[in-house]
Amino acid sequence: MAILPTNLARVSNLLRTSVATSSMTKTQRMLLEVQNQLTTGQRINKPSDDPGDGAIIQQLQKTLEKRQGYLDNISSAKNTLSSVDTSLEGLTDLLRQATQIASANVGSDVTADARTSAAALIDNLYNQSISFGNTQFQGTYIYGGDRSDKQPFVTASNGGVKFVGTNNVLQNTFDDNMVRPFMVSGDEVFGTATGTKVGSNNLSPAITTATRLDALGGATAAGVYKGQIKITNGAANATIDLSSADSIGDAITRINAATGTTDVTAAIAPDGMSLALTAGSGAFSVTEVGGASTARDLGIRQNNPVASLDGADVKAKVTPLTLMSSIFGGGGVDASGLAITNGSSTATVTYTGPITVEAFLNQINAADVGVHAQINAAGTGLEIVNLVAGTELRIGENGGNTATQLGIRTMSPTQQLSELNNGKGVRTVPGADITVTRRDGTEFSVDLDGAATIGDVITKINTAAGSTMASFATTGNGIVMTDASVGPDTSFKVAAANFSSAGEDLGLNGLPATAGVITGKDVSPVSIAGVFTNLAKLRDALRTNDQRGITEASQGISEDLERVISVRGVTGARVQELEGREDRITDENLATQSLLSSLQDTDYTTAITQFSTLQSSLQASLRTTNTVANLSLMDFLS
Amino acid sequence: MSLTGALSIGKTALAVSQAQLQVVGNNIANAGNADYTRQTPKVSTSKDQQFSQNVFIGTGVQLDGIQRQIDEALQGRLRASVSDSNGADTEQLWMSRVESVLNELGDQDLSTQMSTFFNSWSNLASKPQDGALRQVVLQNGQTLADGFKDLKSKFEDLRSDVADRLRALTDDADSLADQLGELNRQIVTAEGGSSGQAAGLRDQRDATLKKLSELVDVHSIEQPNGSLNVYIGSEPLVLHGTNRGLTLREDNVNGKINTVVVFADNKGEAKATTGQIGGLTVVRDAIDATTNRLNDLAKNVIFEVNKLHSSGQGTGGLTTTLGTNAVDDPALALNDPVTNLPFKPTSGSFVVHVKEKATGLVTSTLVKIDQDGLNGDDTTSNDLAADLSAVTGVAASIVGGKLKVDAASNAVEFSFSQDTSGTLAALGVNSFFTGDGAFDMNVDKKLQLDPSKLAAAKNGEPTDNQTARAIADLETTVLGALGGSTLKENYESLVNNVAVTAAASKSNAEASHVVQETLFNQREALSGVSMDEEAINLMRQQRAFQGASRLISVVNDLMDQIMGLVR
Repeated sequence: MAILPTNLARVSNLLRTSVATSSMTKTQRMLLEVQNQLTTGQRINKPSDDPGDGAIIQQLQKTLEKRQGYLDNISSAKNTLSSVDTSLEGLTDLLRQATQIASANVGSDVTADARTSAAALIDNLYNQSISFGNTQFQGTYIYGGDRSDKQPFVTASNGGVKFVGTNNVLQNTFDDNMVRPFMVSGDEVFGTATGTKVGSNNLSPAITTATRLDALGGATAAGVYKGQIKITNGAANATIDLSSADSIGDAITRINAATGTTDVTAAIAPDGMSLALTAGSGAFSVTEVGGASTARDLGIRQNNPVASLDGADVKAKVTPLTLMSSIFGGGGVDASGLAITNGSSTATVTYTGPITVEAFLNQINAADVGVHAQINAAGTGLEIVNLVAGTELRIGENGGNTATQLGIRTMSPTQQLSELNNGKGVRTVPGADITVTRRDGTEFSVDLDGAATIGDVITKINTAAGSTMASFATTGNGIVMTDASVGPDTSFKVAAANFSSAGEDLGLNGLPATAGVITGKDVSPVSIAGVFTNLAKLRDALRTNDQRGITEASQGISEDLERVISVRGVTGARVQELEGREDRITDENLATQSLLSSLQDTDYTTAITQFSTLQSSLQASLRTTNTVANLSLMDFLS
Repeated sequence: MSLTGALSIGKTALAVSQAQLQVVGNNIANAGNADYTRQTPKVSTSKDQQFSQNVFIGTGVQLDGIQRQIDEALQGRLRASVSDSNGADTEQLWMSRVESVLNELGDQDLSTQMSTFFNSWSNLASKPQDGALRQVVLQNGQTLADGFKDLKSKFEDLRSDVADRLRALTDDADSLADQLGELNRQIVTAEGGSSGQAAGLRDQRDATLKKLSELVDVHSIEQPNGSLNVYIGSEPLVLHGTNRGLTLREDNVNGKINTVVVFADNKGEAKATTGQIGGLTVVRDAIDATTNRLNDLAKNVIFEVNKLHSSGQGTGGLTTTLGTNAVDDPALALNDPVTNLPFKPTSGSFVVHVKEKATGLVTSTLVKIDQDGLNGDDTTSNDLAADLSAVTGVAASIVGGKLKVDAASNAVEFSFSQDTSGTLAALGVNSFFTGDGAFDMNVDKKLQLDPSKLAAAKNGEPTDNQTARAIADLETTVLGALGGSTLKENYESLVNNVAVTAAASKSNAEASHVVQETLFNQREALSGVSMDEEAINLMRQQRAFQGASRLISVVNDLMDQIMGLVR
């Protein structure tokens, strides 16, 4: 309360009443404030009541609102993950059942009929496993990735189960700096991505003026930071702002806009992989501005003056917009195309004209052979995914070397023998492994011991034949045997020697000849290993009474089981993590609420004390005013 | 020296006592009048009469004048404090109205609406294809837009209230200035060269001046002839008997009417800094600053959300889309000021995806946007339409300044992504919000009609959630356009500004009241009437009158006796 100075010479009547009025007004106003605090229960009703605390209250309210969002997300993710857990539990039981059936049907005492009826059971489990894959939770197919609005597993036209979902699992934010996936991918559970032929070659596309800076790996593979660079030529220098540059063309335009000052001109280097800067006269340097890395990322950092500069490779990534002709630094990819076989479906994909990678991929994807072609995550090459569980994917040449260039040929002359037959390799025996009989009846044997690659095998055959008899297929895949001698095609054959399995493993044995040519098989197909494949294998092995097949399938199912159990563990751990976070947020909320209450709510003890103090003060004012106002000398005048 | 002399002394004493009683009476009568200045009679002894050599004898008492007990300097300070406290009171009153419009610290305020909006995007990320969650996002978006519009219109109302009040106060101030001119004339006439003061008129003038001080901070200089010149700042308002007059001028500032108080004769601004008019001017500026910030914030919310949304995709593709923002001249570069786009695109590019519905195959095309002002090849709206039309599967045109993109056939649909230039958002193509500020913000009607167009995805997959997450993250993203603060922080600082101004005006008001009271008390101590004092004066004058009457009676007796000698 403000204090009035009382050292006044005289006290007039008006002074007396005005002092009383103002002190009463003040007391009454304060009483009203306290009354308001007491009736609303809040000390701060609007920010100006206490701007400092008001700002903190706003912050705390914001935090609480944000956390409510997190709690909603956690609750939703927990529900989704619980439904994942339930479906994984069912799948675990199913796989256990399958292994039990398999092990019960391995022994020699089991009859073929018993196995056939077991096959019916497995077929049932197989269908069940597909419905597990299509588990739906609140309208979402939980294994569909970011295509979860449709069933992810459908029956393919060429047999098997086709995966039409994606393996991109959705993530969400569950707390500040806590981003977690709340789905499980079809690959994690069903092994859908195991049938992927990953392109082994880095496609290194050339840059064009349209190439986006975002699509560059950057000279040090750390991306491109869009900042400023400084070009100095003798006494002249210019700072060039590339923060608004979107493409290589923009960067060149901006550098060249300063040519008047720097006498330096930029262009794409002849090799198409980097920027080249040339000075009209003198020597120039290119330096960073303010600790940025723009010049380095664009491969043009040059601290010592030079007259011309051919920058470092900016490592352009492959994007859907990359032209096929710009791949390999502008060398392009052979347009002969690919021969793709997936199970019983085959397709030839060729292309003409300057098309983009996306258009090429579209042609593969439109071929309807149950594959999905895509750019790999790093943007360095392509990969072809076999979408169908139960079929084998083979990618070969179509007379040229497209597949080899893209690194997606499933079998190639340089391939290690150990990689063939799904990693089982080529089984050789001591001594000769294959015997080749020509059309004229002459024969020779080949010992394949010591051959490491398919190329080695071809060399050994040719050496043993004494002529160029073996070669690698130019169309499709496989070793091709060409017989120059004369005689009926039926005489020309490749057979095992010393009971060796090598010829079979190489895909040569027992194949018919046509016009003196035996075309070997592609023995390095890509196929999906996983629940559906293994169950189908088991079913088929039981039907065909194939004990070895039953054992193999059973092993596969055991692996699946382990994987599913481990995914279930991970899911459980994630649910636990979310629950832990939920508890923590709830605890934090409690603490925040209490802080908020201590700031915003009325402290009743203080308020009530204040209220009674003010009440007494008002009473005192009223009483003294009444007394003083009634005193006057006039009353004593006679 | 004679009895007659003594009788005349008694006469002067009676007359002076009567006059003094009249002054006491006047003081008592005005004891309750706060504008009244206590008067005291000034008396002196009459000139002596020579009785004999070296002997002088008194001739009684005379009344020299009636004095007003006033300290003009104190009056000036009091008037200044009256201006201050009235200004602060006005500010406090109106700022609390501004603050109540914002209605912060509750759960229905704009900051909560913002949180709810961004939270709903985050929730949508949990289930991107869920129609109900999409509706929630749209509903919360509209609530946020309505929140902005509501605040904006309330501020506009408040602003027009301020203008109305300003008009009324200016009229009052003008009529007070008229009265001052009139009083000046009357005082000059009444005092007409004499040394005495027309106390009543001066009290009236002081009171009028004080009333004027309540409205506007004036200062005054008294002229030798008794008239008072009144100034606002350094400009005179009342000179002698003339009032220059106060009126209002309406200035158009950035499309807004600014009401300014001006002198009637030359329409020059009367710069009031305190007083109710000064306080209102401060409040009006504060409302304008708050409204502008609110509008900026709305603009940023619209643009930032739209930038992300326009590069995102719904569960299905687009078959037609019409931009919501029109360019004035499609032949000019998009960021040319003449195009009048509310948001300016920068150099960059975006990708158009055309999807064959039957096969699901997507063909992408890069569309380059050049806005660097170099080489004279910056992209115009016409260029953009031509570039888009060159993409197989889409046809684009400029319709009424707006970009219209259509699928070329029923077999295809299209979508946009990776817009680094902000062009799509600037043109309002595939946008979430329409409008360019707080007054016309809305959720795009197209989305409300077809929530599947709400873009939660970024990679073109139907149930991707990356755009939804990016928009949710916008709540905590630091934006260069807002000086390195987030949308939420920007709003908080706006609220805090208002809170701090309101709190400051409140404590200002309290402080200036104390000053005013102190000065008023000082004035009262000097110029106020004390009844007790007047009672004592009354008694004294009563006794003096009785004494003088007694003197006359005694002299009369003596004269009777002398007359008896004659008989």
